[in-house]
Amino acid sequence: MSAARPRVGVDSSDEGDPADAILRALADPHRRQILRLVRGGELAAGQIASHFDATQQAVSHHLQVLARAGLVRERRDGARRLYSLDPQALDPVREMLSELWPSALERLKYVVEQDQKKKSAEPKRAGRRP
Amino acid sequence: MTVPEVLKATVRIGAPPAEVFPYFTDPALMIQWIGEWADLRPVPGGLFALDFSKTPVRGRYLEVEPPRRVVFTWGVAGKDSLPPGSTTVEVTLTEDGPDTVVQLLHHDLPAEEFDGHLKGWTSMLDLLVQLHTGP
Repeated sequence: MSAARPRVGVDSSDEGDPADAILRALADPHRRQILRLVRGGELAAGQIASHFDATQQAVSHHLQVLARAGLVRERRDGARRLYSLDPQALDPVREMLSELWPSALERLKYVVEQDQKKKSAEPKRAGRRP
Repeated sequence: MTVPEVLKATVRIGAPPAEVFPYFTDPALMIQWIGEWADLRPVPGGLFALDFSKTPVRGRYLEVEPPRRVVFTWGVAGKDSLPPGSTTVEVTLTEDGPDTVVQLLHHDLPAEEFDGHLKGWTSMLDLLVQLHTGP
């Protein structure tokens, strides 16, 4: 039996589990702070970095992690790189359901097949041999 | 933008449709695979109530045609972005040899709405911040 979840037809272009990437991205306090900053509108990498003691390089690493997780969008404007919150990130309704149904149906499969095994093991099989 | 979204999920189960169907209509069987509590009246217009992970899902059965098809509405009590009855879940069970292929289509999901996203985002983010920083 494969442990792979069935893919759903909505926004499943990422490799791996997008939820993992999102949770990893959110696990860092600097990155959460960046999300709060860009929630209000697009900001240049330099503007974002000015809110932190960290080096611009470190901040730019955080921005890459957030962009890979699909949480922020990156746009180039000449030499500047501009970041904004991705409005499609973590739509709670769609996220919930797109995770819910495939995993629920996998559980359904497991439960039904276990129940079937129990049923066929019990009554009918009279002429069973070791 | 109000383009309705359809979410699709399928699974193949090693049992005939008649064995699978009751798992969508019998509360005791339903909660074995989804939710912790259910109150189900599987007739057209009958109540479909399911709590899972503290989410009160509420709706009505629209079509109940054992063992091949069941349709019910789906929403969350108290949730403006997904009120009870606002979306529809269509389940078809197709016999394929000894198996059943279950196809689930979730229709009429709310279309992208920027404000809704941001609102959801804020609460999700706040929740995560709380999780990470303690109460």
